[in-house]
Amino acid sequence: MQASPLAHHFENLEKQAHAARLGMWLFLATEILLFTVLFAAYALYRFLFPEAFALSSRALETWVGFVNTIVLVTSSLTVATGLHSATRGDGRKTALWFGISVLLAVVFLVLKAYEYNHHFHTGQLPGRFYTYEGVKAPGAPMYFTLYFLITGLHAIHVIVGMTVLVVIGALARKGRYTAAYHVPVELGALYWHLVDLIWIFVFPLIYLI
Amino acid sequence: MAEPVAHDEHAATHRSHMPVYLGVWVALLVLTVVTYAVAKVHLPGAWAVAVALLIASLKGALVALFFMHLWDQRGANRLVFLTSLVFVALLIGLVIADNATRFPLANPPGTRGALPAEGSVREPPAANVQQRNRP
Repeated sequence: MQASPLAHHFENLEKQAHAARLGMWLFLATEILLFTVLFAAYALYRFLFPEAFALSSRALETWVGFVNTIVLVTSSLTVATGLHSATRGDGRKTALWFGISVLLAVVFLVLKAYEYNHHFHTGQLPGRFYTYEGVKAPGAPMYFTLYFLITGLHAIHVIVGMTVLVVIGALARKGRYTAAYHVPVELGALYWHLVDLIWIFVFPLIYLI
Repeated sequence: MAEPVAHDEHAATHRSHMPVYLGVWVALLVLTVVTYAVAKVHLPGAWAVAVALLIASLKGALVALFFMHLWDQRGANRLVFLTSLVFVALLIGLVIADNATRFPLANPPGTRGALPAEGSVREPPAANVQQRNRP
């Protein structure tokens, strides 16, 4: 970036950073509400079919969700560490930490794929495709409809977040950001933390209760 | 890059975040293990959900406050986040309140307290009962 990162319609970089952060938080709020619709559907059907949801939840392999929670929480730490490096103007370290975070995200997705594969083999599928013999209660197909919607939408967010981390990590490595200006690093980190935040609620709702 | 920047906020915001990050990370790991262990105990009824959601909210608060810097950044960000939480509570709360106060027949067959569907065979609830359409 040859020119200053300051856009002409802002008085100074600090105000620009404030505006960027506010915009990002508005976007994150819409993301939260997007997931809330699915959580509300989950709450409704869990209220209507409590036994089927409890039994279906127990039919999942809880350890996968547990390990994935640890993986995502740790990736949030590595992203935060990358932001810390950016505030010191160390773009190479930012790239390194973001790279580690992307690897952790790959671990997350591999475990998720293993799980999806298992569901396809046992017939734990949404609606009329449900052929699982283990749980035969009304409402069980609905559990797996919501399971795939929630974890699927979350997985899409993981992939988007990985893309963001790769791009910003690469730019940081090129030295685009300085200790004075690293707002994109900060906003990318915010997005990743949101992906983690959503999973923190998905884990108990899907796997534990 | 010669833009003179007010460094005071950045300096104050980012002075030594690493200890906080590490502390939050450890707390998140501990809470994850706790919620996993509690789930294995199978608490009765609504307690399992209540405890699991309480721990999840604690973890979420740690992430939002410290990883996402709502704790140390001033401005409208907090207001935006809190407003979104209000709407989360509204949507989920009202949907549940609606269904909890319905006449049983208004809920889908196979659910708690609902009667069998019109035209359906009178048999104990089996798989796919709720998928049956009315003729």
